[in-house]
Amino acid sequence: MKSIIGDYMKPFLLGMLILNFLTITGCAFIRGNYGEELGQGDITTIQKGISTRADVATVLGAPDRIIEANGREIFHYYHYDVKSGSVFIFSRTNIKSDDTFVILNGAGVVEEVVSGKRKGPLEFQFWPFDWPFR
Amino acid sequence: MMPRNPLIYLILALTLMSLNGCSQGPVTWRRVTLNQTISTEDVIFIVPGKTDISAVVERLGAPNDILASKDEIVTRYYFTDGKYFKANYGWGFRFLIPFFAPDLDLGGGGIGRDVFQVTYDNHWLVRDHAFAFHSRSSEFLAWPFRD
Repeated sequence: MKSIIGDYMKPFLLGMLILNFLTITGCAFIRGNYGEELGQGDITTIQKGISTRADVATVLGAPDRIIEANGREIFHYYHYDVKSGSVFIFSRTNIKSDDTFVILNGAGVVEEVVSGKRKGPLEFQFWPFDWPFR
Repeated sequence: MMPRNPLIYLILALTLMSLNGCSQGPVTWRRVTLNQTISTEDVIFIVPGKTDISAVVERLGAPNDILASKDEIVTRYYFTDGKYFKANYGWGFRFLIPFFAPDLDLGGGGIGRDVFQVTYDNHWLVRDHAFAFHSRSSEFLAWPFRD
């Protein structure tokens, strides 16, 4: 008995099914960030024991946050980088923080600069599991 | 030439009905991470009373937060892992009842926020350090009604 669907229709049906699967799921890769990334060159111009509060504000701009700690004033600058990937039914979003702290003593002079990249690269990923499934 | 087979028309109708780009498939796995995990092996170099903040920042990067506590400074590194799973058990109804396809979403997840804390004295030497692990709260949940 001949099939209800002719052989010539099979590639057409297969194409429709693939189109259907792709259109109801799809894929996307998105990049975003929050805050301004500080240049390492700018940070190195700040000298411990010499630069003042005004110098820091001139080079790095106004801090995102100011913390009072044991007679010290801490300028906190932060920046977040986001990479997100979605493929079919899987989605993964990776966020990496990049913080810089400038610590000023009671006289308003820079005592310490805390700046450094967190470990590991920020990657586009879509597989949400720790290999293979976890 | 137009296809005359009713099955073709059915597939065409189903395809056109599902051409809403923002809809999702019957299951979804999502994961969000903030920063890479810091392990106990990563911090083995820290010796209280000897290691200073520069050495810590060089190896681990800048902390996410600095807090004041009495006569010491506390720095905190956050790394967060969030997992979410969802299954739409009503998704298949759209092929049986094209004009009324109710969604029946079941699923769940969790966010585990781990913290590595380093305490410094007034000379920026490490006084102590500790982990707070909550990563077990991060998991894909298929059944939301469990205790």
